Amino acid sequence: MRSIALGSVLLAALLSWWVLRADVGPATGTGYTLTVHCAAGIKGPVTRAAKEYEQQFGNRVELTFGGSGALLSALTVRNHGDIYIAGDDSYVSDAKQRGLVAEILALASMRPVIAVRSGNPKNITSYRDLLRLDVRTGLGNPEAAAVGKIAKRVATDLGFWDQLRDKVTVMKPTVNDLGNDLQIGTIDAAVIWDATVRQYENLEIIEDPQLSRQARNVTLGVLRCTTQPRPALHFARYLAAHDRGLLVFSAEGFTPIDGDEWADVPQLELMSGAMLRPAIDSTVTAFEQREGVRVNRVYNGCGILVSQMKTGSIPDAYFSCDQTFLDQVQDRFQDGVTVTANDVVMLLRKGNPKNIAKLRDLLRPGVRVGLGHPEKSALGALTTGLLSRTGHLDNLKASGNVVVESATGDLLVNQITAGSLDVVLVYRSNTAHVGERCEVAPIQEATSQARQPFAIAKDSAHPHLMRRLLDTLRGADSRRRFEELGFHWRDGERPK
Amino acid sequence: MTTAPHRARADTAFLAALFVFLGLYVALIVAMLVADASFTSPADLWEAIRSDEIQSAAVLSLVTATLSAILSVWFAVPIGYVMTRFSFRGRALLDAVLDIPIVLPPMVIGLSLLILFSTPIGRAIESVVPITYQKPSIVLAQFAVACAFAVRTMIVTFQQIDVRHEHVALTVGCSRGQAFRHVVLPQVRRGMLSAFLLAWARALGEFGPILVFSGAMRMRTEVLPTTVFLELSVGRIDAAVAVSLLMVAAALIVLWIGRSFGLGRIGQ
Repeated sequence: MRSIALGSVLLAALLSWWVLRADVGPATGTGYTLTVHCAAGIKGPVTRAAKEYEQQFGNRVELTFGGSGALLSALTVRNHGDIYIAGDDSYVSDAKQRGLVAEILALASMRPVIAVRSGNPKNITSYRDLLRLDVRTGLGNPEAAAVGKIAKRVATDLGFWDQLRDKVTVMKPTVNDLGNDLQIGTIDAAVIWDATVRQYENLEIIEDPQLSRQARNVTLGVLRCTTQPRPALHFARYLAAHDRGLLVFSAEGFTPIDGDEWADVPQLELMSGAMLRPAIDSTVTAFEQREGVRVNRVYNGCGILVSQMKTGSIPDAYFSCDQTFLDQVQDRFQDGVTVTANDVVMLLRKGNPKNIAKLRDLLRPGVRVGLGHPEKSALGALTTGLLSRTGHLDNLKASGNVVVESATGDLLVNQITAGSLDVVLVYRSNTAHVGERCEVAPIQEATSQARQPFAIAKDSAHPHLMRRLLDTLRGADSRRRFEELGFHWRDGERPK
Repeated sequence: MTTAPHRARADTAFLAALFVFLGLYVALIVAMLVADASFTSPADLWEAIRSDEIQSAAVLSLVTATLSAILSVWFAVPIGYVMTRFSFRGRALLDAVLDIPIVLPPMVIGLSLLILFSTPIGRAIESVVPITYQKPSIVLAQFAVACAFAVRTMIVTFQQIDVRHEHVALTVGCSRGQAFRHVVLPQVRRGMLSAFLLAWARALGEFGPILVFSGAMRMRTEVLPTTVFLELSVGRIDAAVAVSLLMVAAALIVLWIGRSFGLGRIGQ
């Protein structure tokens, strides 16, 4: 008996040593080790792409698999790791709402289709055929599987859900359960993803337009809890690149999205109205550091920027001072997204020695006025419109009081601060740092507000990356910076 | 009373009925294995055996199941002894509590462990020994379930041995500990081996709690049942079946050797 007890202690000690020792894992060299929680249904392409990535960059990718929902539940209880990849976008959206995910990248799209055995022995041609008595039908559980939810919604819209629910042979929680049942032969047809069908050699796809319209994306989320966002996003960009990871998805039967071009450190160009510089510069720098990319910023008056773009210098994105300037080059950009608005105000010398209160006071003899250049800047165009609407434009020009027309509001602020002007019409955000050297007076006769849209170039090689930059600029930290400078938050408003 | 020929016929019919049940159940098991085999090929099996991932999962499965089974027996022997030899208030309730891991769905065990190790106490433990999503979590998840089966086996074993031997030992001057060591333990060796093998088999097949508590990380926390799940998840039934058959073979060999040699020797 003593020898058994002793033997069990020694064996347990040896096995415990092995279990604890082995957890140190293989050496990772100089590279990073990433933990990726991946939906089991997309194990094939993600495993292959990860292996290629490891070989190319020397980083390690540790993949852990499970159902999309089960992984999300586990992450909710214990948030750890770097990346979460779900079988369809609803899970990643859910994770985003729960505050688990920061960036989201789409990888491939999947359409719901009817899967049957090769040769279509039951001659199924439409979704409605699944109601036939001679067809053993399988569906995903509407509560557990996204494809089951879609199958239910489409059948409800077509008016036969109750019949189908009563007639269905089996409901299963995952699409692969149904694929396996089809392959084994216990059912004749099932509604599953097209990409799932392509994983099986002896199954084929029957398209039904009502189902096909309900496509979903395989989606990746970078976890908020990651302590290494730059390597995590490096791998995420690799997976989502049309000439890298998405090639693998395509080879494995998925329909990849139109992803960005791969670059180890992407070089991007952002053209932005000069007035936006203090609001966005630090946000863009933080974005560069998190993503591991370079964003070359070109700040200038929007008229000058638009001229440059018209001569062929198209950036990856344009953050315009006003929608009117984006309109001039709209054919080269996707639709803009309005982020902020900015008032035009009067900035006066300290103590307002010329006693200026209204626009008509600018006409008084001896008042030195500075305006934005009407062609080189959005500020100038807006100011000209404002003066025209209030009937002062021609008189002001005739008065000879306009001493200077500058390409940017900041130049005007510099000049009034130096004492060479009595009043300038600038954006409220231009006045944020003048302190007590000048006074700000709102324009009482009319309001004039510029709206700042962000637009991504149609020809950009990195539209998704630029979309993430836009998302960052629309984030809470960025909003605070904008509002501190006097911008109004207009995120998501339709351009006027 | 029946005559001798009558009795012989009745016995034959009785024995035949017994063997029909045995035969039917064994036939069901064998039929399942044959059906499995029809869904794979020697090439699939060979590919499975050669795969680094599957070799790693196999070693991890065998090591963790063995460790879990040893730990289960260490706990099951004292627990079984206490539950059969002592009367105390709440014993019936405690008896029911010991069955909870058997009754609970396996996923719930995994989720409960995951939540437990997310509490301040769990995190304090993990600051010393990382457990969640690491190899020790596999042992803990297997142990949580397998130990309940070992405990049940040991309770039945202790119930079956005669208490009088112990009493005799106590009356000739043995302490309780000495009586337990020299009189009780030698009598429950067969039960301990049964508990070990049952716990081992249970731990080897454990899947639900491991998936939740340990994840399914290739070459790290992937055990053979996880491999089967992963292969099924991507529609590779042939590979899933190949791994399943490997598990059957491994389990069969260990249980067969354990029962025929271990029980035979210990029983003598």
